[in-house]
Amino acid sequence: MILGMFDSGALPALTRLVQFTHVRHQVLTHNIANLSTPYFKSRQLDPRGFQASLASAIDRRRTTPNPIRGPLEIRDTRTFQFKPGGIDAKPQSANDNVLPHDQNNHDLERTMQRLAENTMVNNAALKMIRNQLGMLRLAIREQV
Amino acid sequence: MFGALDISASALVAQRTRLNVISANLANRNSLTDAAGNYAPFRRRVPILAPGDPTSGSGGGVHVKDVLLDQSPLQIKHEPNHPFADDKGLVYYPNVDLMIEMINAMEASRVYEANITAAEATESMMQASLHLLA
Repeated sequence: MILGMFDSGALPALTRLVQFTHVRHQVLTHNIANLSTPYFKSRQLDPRGFQASLASAIDRRRTTPNPIRGPLEIRDTRTFQFKPGGIDAKPQSANDNVLPHDQNNHDLERTMQRLAENTMVNNAALKMIRNQLGMLRLAIREQV
Repeated sequence: MFGALDISASALVAQRTRLNVISANLANRNSLTDAAGNYAPFRRRVPILAPGDPTSGSGGGVHVKDVLLDQSPLQIKHEPNHPFADDKGLVYYPNVDLMIEMINAMEASRVYEANITAAEATESMMQASLHLLA
């Protein structure tokens, strides 16, 4: 809307992070729903790939004339396509060679751990976005 | 985000259906006749789970595709005086094993709980998003 208000500083990176955690949450929920489905192969979205894309986009912005306030240009990879409204991701099949009797490579403990971490990162990023918007509100109100 | 709630709900429904099938198997462990009163020993039912959710049209989640009859052999007991004994004096009993059904029931409730946790995580993320407005 107002150029430079919602597109600068930490907000673009935090928005992309929240979009990533939403997509990863869908993948994890699908795996948990199919815990007892025979022949099901669970899929993964590695956060390291996303972190690498985000880090290189931030580094690239640092070299521009507007290192902190400019927009963040993040490049598509094989796994992630960064659209203005969200991220399209292609999850990969987990490569576990040891399969139990029902040919389902479920790993309940790891999946619940990933779910917990993903939820915490999502909520932390949303809190930070809330802080940024709060600062904007303070500036608009011109009161402390 | 609401897609994630659909996925968890489909898993809860599928596991509840599975538990219903297990309960029906256990209830009919000793059933030798069908509803009409003819001699037809009960055969164990097996729910077939598959990924995807036809009711919401999405590829995520899980559903019970079919409930099939277990083709493993029926139990045989030698009871010559039984009204349903055949000419060799053998009576066929349902092929429902108590241990297998109980372990399947334990697994179904474990998966049900895991999906409740996933739904709670979805709810927590949505609450945090809504909190942005306040």
